Amino acid sequence: MNAINHIAILVAKDLRIEGRTRQTMGLILILGILIVSVLGLGLSSNPQVAALGAPAILWVAYLFSGVLCFEKTMAVERQDGALAGLLLAPIDRSVIYAAKLITNLLLMVTTAAVITAVGLLFFNFSLAAAPLGFVLIIAMGMIGFAAIGTLFSALVSSTRLQGGFLAMIVFPLILPLVIASTQQINALFNSSAQTPGGTGLAILVAFDVIFLVVSWIVFELVLEP
Amino acid sequence: MTRQYAIIAYWLLTAVAFIGAIVLVFTWTPEESSMGVIQKIFYFHLPVAINTFLACAVVFVASVGYLVQRDTWWDDLAAAAANIAVVLCTGVLLTGMLWAHGAWGVWWTWSPRLTFSFMLWLLYVVYLLVRSSVESAQRRALVSAVFGLVAFLDVPLVYLSARLLPDIHPGQIALAPEMKLTLGFCMIPITLLAAGLICTQYKINKLRRARQLQRQEQFQLGVAPTLAGGSL
Amino acid sequence: MMLAPPISQTPAAADATPSAAAAVCAKGLCKTIDDRPILRNLDLAIPTGQFIALLGANGAGKSTLLKILSTLLAPTAGTLELFGLSARRDAASIRARIGLIGHQSMLYGDLSPLENLVFFGRLYNVETPRDRALHLLTLLGLKDRAEDPVKSFSRGMAQRVSIARALMHDPAILLADEPFAGLDAPSTAVLERVLRNLHDAGKTILLANHDIAQSLRLAQRAVILKNGEKIIDAPADTLDADHILFRMERDGA
Repeated sequence: MNAINHIAILVAKDLRIEGRTRQTMGLILILGILIVSVLGLGLSSNPQVAALGAPAILWVAYLFSGVLCFEKTMAVERQDGALAGLLLAPIDRSVIYAAKLITNLLLMVTTAAVITAVGLLFFNFSLAAAPLGFVLIIAMGMIGFAAIGTLFSALVSSTRLQGGFLAMIVFPLILPLVIASTQQINALFNSSAQTPGGTGLAILVAFDVIFLVVSWIVFELVLEP
Repeated sequence: MTRQYAIIAYWLLTAVAFIGAIVLVFTWTPEESSMGVIQKIFYFHLPVAINTFLACAVVFVASVGYLVQRDTWWDDLAAAAANIAVVLCTGVLLTGMLWAHGAWGVWWTWSPRLTFSFMLWLLYVVYLLVRSSVESAQRRALVSAVFGLVAFLDVPLVYLSARLLPDIHPGQIALAPEMKLTLGFCMIPITLLAAGLICTQYKINKLRRARQLQRQEQFQLGVAPTLAGGSL
Repeated sequence: MMLAPPISQTPAAADATPSAAAAVCAKGLCKTIDDRPILRNLDLAIPTGQFIALLGANGAGKSTLLKILSTLLAPTAGTLELFGLSARRDAASIRARIGLIGHQSMLYGDLSPLENLVFFGRLYNVETPRDRALHLLTLLGLKDRAEDPVKSFSRGMAQRVSIARALMHDPAILLADEPFAGLDAPSTAVLERVLRNLHDAGKTILLANHDIAQSLRLAQRAVILKNGEKIIDAPADTLDADHILFRMERDGA
């Protein structure tokens, strides 16, 4: 299908640029690791607290490095008006969204993997009880986060404000993701937790589906050369 | 002229309804056995909460309206409703905290209700901050509209996720029939107040936009704006 | 001082071939941004193969008009057809036949000209994009820097790559929004040559420009905008640069 072809071309272009400069990956990785380190140091005298708080701490790291990632992948398009070049091409606008989303997801997943490894190490949090469950929950959280983040990064990248603005917009919107995933992870790893089991997962799925669809539809309206 | 009278009558009615509600709450309605006087906050807390949600729904409808039609009056309406939503939601938070303190001795807890109120408050405060951060009127309207749309769709998910949190007070309070009546009555002044405030704010927004347009046109034509609008 | 030619269309411009073959047919175009009217009730008919210079002061609406013609922006009111295709319904098909050069290069600075051109070529479904890219780069004198990142280029060279980008899919119409701004002499010469060659090859060209004399020299017909309205629309050889300047500046800003 033509659209899939176009998406592949766009993602390949993004990855090629990223591979050449390695700017975005480097920054978001370091930022994520720094956040985990700060919190790890701060909680170093309370190792039990750190272990219990690991999922939330990891989310903080994901959120800040994620927002930075979304800003930078969109900034590439704004630099010399390349986005206008894309809008002039005979491709669907939604293709641009899908490609940017995939690029963001690829970068975020790689970063999250590293940050998580470091975090689990620092906080002595073992995944042995349910490693696949953990990965699944985090992955679903990432998808919803990236769906919203990609939409709004395109929306606000044409305004002159950056730094913190995108974070301010995205964070309140994805709070359900944070709550649902941390509650679900707690239920998985702490058999004493009293939260209701499967609802957290249902919320994650609902969030992802709703906002993937909505972003896809709305994206058409938000682009401006 | 009749319009002025209608507006005055409206606000008089609202004031009367308020007085009536307060009288009702503090004299006629029986006190709830376990909590005492503090429970009476509930009669204002719930109507304010419901109206907050209605205001958020107005923001949603106005946002969609703008995205579809691109008429600026949708944008004015969305901004007005969001303003009032934040004011109301602040009321919900404060009364909720008062209740929490009265009932359980803590000013804050991550209970589902309080957390939900807080997250809702955050969403619409950010909406207002977004509006004040974008300079171009057209861009501001677009960004706000998308945010207004997404934020409202988020509300049910916010609600459901808040319900995952451990609750400090399981179980509902049983409402005697007089209490239900009072609750229903209290909806009247608060709804009137909310609707009235939204309309007032909407008119202010429209006026502000018209004035700014006038100033822009004057600037373009090279006419220096005089203070009293008199001739040069 | 020359008398002003009538505002209504002169024979050359009114040589309107039937709608199906006309390159551009715009009627009653209006565009309002931030409640300010940028374009007011603009009519423009461009037969295929014509070279038009679009002139006017800053803020007259040239850029906005070009963006609307390229389907980047939608008009607030009015109809637009290019090659008989409606801009509202068949925007994608129109975009396949348009090339746009603007103030910005619309390129990815971290990639080389070759990579940029092949990328855009593939989006336009160009066959053998690599060959076409090399061909264009050679024509524009950039072959030996085809593999360097675009961000290392001077503005003139980057603009040349941008021209190549706009021509990759062999568009029938070229829209150029002040492409000469900030160009050095060699790049200006290259661009003028390119425009002349395209015109000789039968392409329709719409060039928004600041340099009135240059525009009258290059183009067949000149359209002058002021405050979003057309004030002059006449063949280039009937116009005088001083007069145009006078008309643009009359009645203040």
